Amino acid sequence: MKGLFPLFLGIFGTFAFSWVGLTLVPNFQIGHLDPQMDEDGNDAYPVPRSGMAERGRKVYIENGCFYCHSQQVRADYAGSDIDRKWGERRSAPRDYIFDRPAPLGKERLGPDLSNVGKRAPAEDENAPAAASAPSPAASPAPSASAAPSADASPPAEKNANAPGKTATSADSAPAGGQLQPYSAAWHHRHLYSPRSLTLDSNMPAYRFLYEQRRIGGEPSADAIKMNRREAAPEGWEIVPTYDAKCLVAYLMSLDQSHPLKEVKSAAAPPAAPAPDKTAK
Amino acid sequence: MNPAEIPLKAPPNVADISAADVEQVERALIDASTRVPVLMFYTSAIVWLLIGTLLAGFVSFKLHMPDMFSGISFLTWGRIRPAHMNVMVYGWASMAGIGTAIWLMARLCRTTLRHPLLLVAGAAFWNFGVLLGVIGIVMGDSTGYQWLEFPGYASIVLFAAYTLVISWAVLMFRFRRGDTIYITQWYLLGAFLWFPWMYAAAQVMLFITPVQGVMQAAVTWWYGNNLLFLWFGAIGLGTAYYMIPKVIGRPVYSYHLATIGFWSYALFASWTGMQRLVDGPFPAWMITASIAATILTIIPVATVGLNHHMTMRGYFRLLHYSPTLRFTIFGAMCYTAFSALGVVMSLRSVARYLHFTEASIAYSHLGLYGFFTMVMFGSMYYIVPRLVGREWRYASLIKLHFWGSAYGVGLMTLMLLAGGLTQGASMSDPSLPFTESTQSILPYLRGRSLSGILLMGAHFTFAFHFGLMLFGLGRTASVPTFLNPVEAEHGGTET
Repeated sequence: MKGLFPLFLGIFGTFAFSWVGLTLVPNFQIGHLDPQMDEDGNDAYPVPRSGMAERGRKVYIENGCFYCHSQQVRADYAGSDIDRKWGERRSAPRDYIFDRPAPLGKERLGPDLSNVGKRAPAEDENAPAAASAPSPAASPAPSASAAPSADASPPAEKNANAPGKTATSADSAPAGGQLQPYSAAWHHRHLYSPRSLTLDSNMPAYRFLYEQRRIGGEPSADAIKMNRREAAPEGWEIVPTYDAKCLVAYLMSLDQSHPLKEVKSAAAPPAAPAPDKTAK
Repeated sequence: MNPAEIPLKAPPNVADISAADVEQVERALIDASTRVPVLMFYTSAIVWLLIGTLLAGFVSFKLHMPDMFSGISFLTWGRIRPAHMNVMVYGWASMAGIGTAIWLMARLCRTTLRHPLLLVAGAAFWNFGVLLGVIGIVMGDSTGYQWLEFPGYASIVLFAAYTLVISWAVLMFRFRRGDTIYITQWYLLGAFLWFPWMYAAAQVMLFITPVQGVMQAAVTWWYGNNLLFLWFGAIGLGTAYYMIPKVIGRPVYSYHLATIGFWSYALFASWTGMQRLVDGPFPAWMITASIAATILTIIPVATVGLNHHMTMRGYFRLLHYSPTLRFTIFGAMCYTAFSALGVVMSLRSVARYLHFTEASIAYSHLGLYGFFTMVMFGSMYYIVPRLVGREWRYASLIKLHFWGSAYGVGLMTLMLLAGGLTQGASMSDPSLPFTESTQSILPYLRGRSLSGILLMGAHFTFAFHFGLMLFGLGRTASVPTFLNPVEAEHGGTET
């Protein structure tokens, strides 16, 4: 090849084509979305995170949780995500407009977390909508929020959504009672010792997010109750740091169940309040 | 002594000097002028390689021993993994690539290296940037964008370092002698211009004026795949186009094939990337466009493969002797395998099983290690003796290095592919609990750790050998070190 000019031109031209085609054009198409609202301008979705959940998002990113946990539900024809009850509809670009970075993830060495906040038991203040969601009417199988507890093994075996093989009660039941799966206390214990709740879990423990301290006066309400082997010595307790509380607040905030106009909700029965414009 | 001041002429009073002698002296002078910057890039790269290998071992073992060091924040898996990836990408691969590219540029522009200070400063800044970035990641400052995890303060340093290197490369082109621009120079020039573009574009679109939501993921993958293809791929292919004909001593089979290969590569490979987001929350056309582009990369891959094969035809026995050739050909073959795997994995019907599994790790290692790193090893075996004036000391160590690396990367690819398949198969069956998928891949992850041990052995062997060369402990000999004793006939020249 002779002459630098055609070479330069070609090198620039081909790459400009790709840059415009794969980043600028899509950005024009999906890069400026607004939250969806109903006709009265209420019920905005999504809303930006704030406070502890926002800080928890940073904890999630800086510890690389997104390398193993995706946050995207694929459509029913593309994978088993909806069958696994990771969500009731596929994720859409609008779900992520306030995320930076958008933690889509690229691998699943752990389950998808797009809707993990929604799976929290109903009495948890962060997920008041969980019980009233339209799904149970349609699906005969018990959904995660309906599964009674980590110790009730028969429904857990049938239900792929339950967190794997749960540890047997003799080995792991905390002294104070039973943990509702995906409740805040469950998340804390799971982060502190994943295998005490899910025997087959492959998740690293995040003990550096917790501190062991001497009980001064009354024991803390949020101390993690472990079984004998992992329990703190007499007179000590294991409490979450502020980062751990933020991380759990973030996890509890993950919820893509709000219907979007552009996505058909797979699990919504025809009778349930449809996510269309004429609903109200 | 400033190498730029050495006149590139034979002494005028020597009448019977042949043109070949002049060229040889000229080449030696050019090599000498590149000594300091190239060795600086190589030494840094190898130090990063060792660090990255140790981190990789840690990452690999922790995947099946998750309770290891769980109380220490900076040793958590989610921080060491990006540290490993970034050390390998920016510390090892990029620095080795730049080192080789500098040397090739000087040789092919047929001019002594001018302004070495630009490059020395570039290498120093580059090292500083990588160090800063890795410390940032480990301390919990990661940005959360794949391959762009370095926090802002490190990216700036890295970009400044790169500006120094590119300004040097442009200067070299101004001083080049001769009209023809060789194939290798197309690829190198492309790499040198594409990298700052993609890096700056990604930095601007992710951090300075961030795009919204899922577009960030699109930009990240656009950057990541272009980094793989148009930065590492271009340097690797350019190097192979130089080393293979050079070692066997015959010209490239077809210049026209090379032209087709280069332009179709620039056009199609740059459009890949979105297939890694298959079925995600994106307009389907983006993903389909990338899948189509991935399939079309068959054209450049086939042309380049054919060209190398036809060049090599009749000379394959030289693989028995030349370390450079053996590493380079292994890399070139891995490039074909890597591209074929990329095409297969991009198909939607396959992605249904392999998306979100460890198979994607197999894919990137086949590209970055099997192809790029092996080609870089090959070029180092060729270039380093010409810089230090000594030959490699032990053929046995080279063999150990080659087989360690070859078996290591082969085992890793097979383990992760097979593991990815079982993982994907159990994941796509909703009647199985999710933990079935993570349990089914465990034996393969243990196998992968074994391959990590092989690679670690290979790298430490190579680093030791390189250290001997650096301290002047190589052989003084007029013939290069062959892998096996050469019998009477050998066709190629290694000069």
